[in-house]
Amino acid sequence: MKKLLAITIFMMVSVYGYSQKQNPDSLKEVIEKHEGRLNALDERVLVNEADLGKLNKIKVSGYIQAQWESYGKDLEKSNGYNNTFYIRRARVKFTYEALDGVKFVLQPDFSTGNLVLKDAYAVVNIPKLKDFTLWTGQFNRPDYEVEYSSSQREVLERSRVIRTIYPGEREIGVKLEYVGSTIPLKVQLMAMNGNFTAAQAKDVDSKKDLMGRIVYSIKLPDAGIGIDFGANGYFGGNLAKTNPYISNSDGTADSVKVWSYLDKNWVGGEVQIFADVLGGMAIKAEYIAGINSTASTIAGTSTMAQMKASPNLFNNFSGYYLYFIKNIGPKDQFIARYDYYDPNTKLSGDAAGNNIYYTTWTVSLQHYLNDNIRISLNYEMPKNEINASNSTEKKDNVLGVRIQAKF
Amino acid sequence: MKNNKIFTIMLITVLMVSATGFSQQKITVKGSDTMVILAQKWAELYMKSNPSASIQVTGGGSGVGITALINGTTDICNSSRPMKQTEIEKLKARYNTLGVQIPCAKDGITIFLNEANKVQELTLKQLSDIYQAKVKNWKDVGGNDAPITVYGRENSSGTYVYFHDEVVKGDYAATVQTLPGTAAVVNAVKKDVNGIGYGGAAYAVGVKHAKVKNDTNGPAFLPTAESIGKGEYPITRYLYMYLRNRPTGENKKYIDWILSQEGQMVATEVGYFPYK
Repeated sequence: MKKLLAITIFMMVSVYGYSQKQNPDSLKEVIEKHEGRLNALDERVLVNEADLGKLNKIKVSGYIQAQWESYGKDLEKSNGYNNTFYIRRARVKFTYEALDGVKFVLQPDFSTGNLVLKDAYAVVNIPKLKDFTLWTGQFNRPDYEVEYSSSQREVLERSRVIRTIYPGEREIGVKLEYVGSTIPLKVQLMAMNGNFTAAQAKDVDSKKDLMGRIVYSIKLPDAGIGIDFGANGYFGGNLAKTNPYISNSDGTADSVKVWSYLDKNWVGGEVQIFADVLGGMAIKAEYIAGINSTASTIAGTSTMAQMKASPNLFNNFSGYYLYFIKNIGPKDQFIARYDYYDPNTKLSGDAAGNNIYYTTWTVSLQHYLNDNIRISLNYEMPKNEINASNSTEKKDNVLGVRIQAKF
Repeated sequence: MKNNKIFTIMLITVLMVSATGFSQQKITVKGSDTMVILAQKWAELYMKSNPSASIQVTGGGSGVGITALINGTTDICNSSRPMKQTEIEKLKARYNTLGVQIPCAKDGITIFLNEANKVQELTLKQLSDIYQAKVKNWKDVGGNDAPITVYGRENSSGTYVYFHDEVVKGDYAATVQTLPGTAAVVNAVKKDVNGIGYGGAAYAVGVKHAKVKNDTNGPAFLPTAESIGKGEYPITRYLYMYLRNRPTGENKKYIDWILSQEGQMVATEVGYFPYK
């Protein structure tokens, strides 16, 4: 202890003595030297801050959905197995916000054996029209269930009608979107190629398909209720490029000119009701009906018999879904969904052949383990129309358990 | 038959989870740094008169509080700005409610200047120009020939967002030095003769307030109880509490007390103003 005290006193005296020996000029020199160093450091900090600022504009988020499913006997026959583990989705989303109102988004999906680009688009706020944005690239079609992220959706899969008419959910095109800051109105207008599959990066005809959606929101804060309701429509078509035969909704085989345009038009209505009743509750529904066409992919060099056997399809269809969602405390949810899809509304019974309608009950439980992890237990029970071609109720129920990790 | 069994199992699970879901926890309050002094004072006084109550208050910024409300890690979120539509959409997706907005006090965003600064008043346009670096020297707004050092808040702050939307109305300049909390902004301006900052009125100790006016010809106002109460002070805003659901039980008792005359007097004592 004494030793330590002696060393401290010695050091203090030395420092005092040293400072006494310094003349003002040399002190000024030291200050200038340090000032120079500080200025250099300042510059480096500014450069680093600018670099960090750029990095701050990049946001990385994503989610992984690991799943186990067990299938009914008919699905087992077609699949060759009655249960499986698999990765349903493994997505990483990169968002770069270059400026206020300019955003670039890139989202690949890395699920096993299925590396695909899901989103690649730019969103720009239109100058002087702050409520308008312009979207270009590949992104979700404007429809409630399509745009509702699969990381948030309360059941494992979208309803059958939406899966059928909007395969893959995305399209390549341009969208003008208005989200009112003073009136609770949302309007979306989209022009797109209209033939999107992962393999078709460009349009297959010159005509563009159009889609529109309008949603108005009503809030009743005293009652704890919010209602969003709206309408949507799709107006486009397919080109009958190779096959001069068509199968109409009424089952008649007709002939069309090769290169004629088969309409694909439908309209829909939607409503979502949110109610603050013992922990939150929602009822969501959408109804869509119209004409869907499918261009035959059979080659132009095929025989007439082959072309007749695989004609272009031109069918009236309808479908809807109805969700009931109840929050139970802050971490759990119970969900029941009923959905219906009829691919050909003009034919029923034996005349419908394999174009039978389906109704599906889905029940699900969600548990949020924490901010990042959600566990889902889901049971899907489809019921098919019975006719001569489908004489029994198919055993195609699916039990699924999913763990979702989101960051 | 098989389906019925699965329905029954799911129903039982729902009921079991429901029973655990409603047990009352202590109240957690998170969010606005502007409101943290006020929220702590409210909690302290409430717990004194209600010894069984347990209220935990933390700051972090309005954005942090709203995220915590959406993630379910706080019961009450304090916010010095209204929730954005995108945040309400997240609340709807997760809890199927629109959230409950409760205005609980009024605040005038105060413009802090160093006491040695000879500038007395600024228009909203001048403030916008200063924060967008269109005006860089005090002499352009009636002060000395000296560069302006601009201090502001981080983007998680509700005050940052409110000031951006209502005053700056453009991009903040890259030269704005962002600081964590209004107290840090006040401290920086106190030490910097050329500094300017903004924040809640309750923090303004050791700095002077600039009068603010809507335009060059209009009258300038200091953020006083009178000017804020009458809505004359140009940068007047509400301070909010947000909940996921309509308050019940202990949460309701606490919020009712905050909105009572006693709770609102606390707001006035701390440096804010009654919400009505």
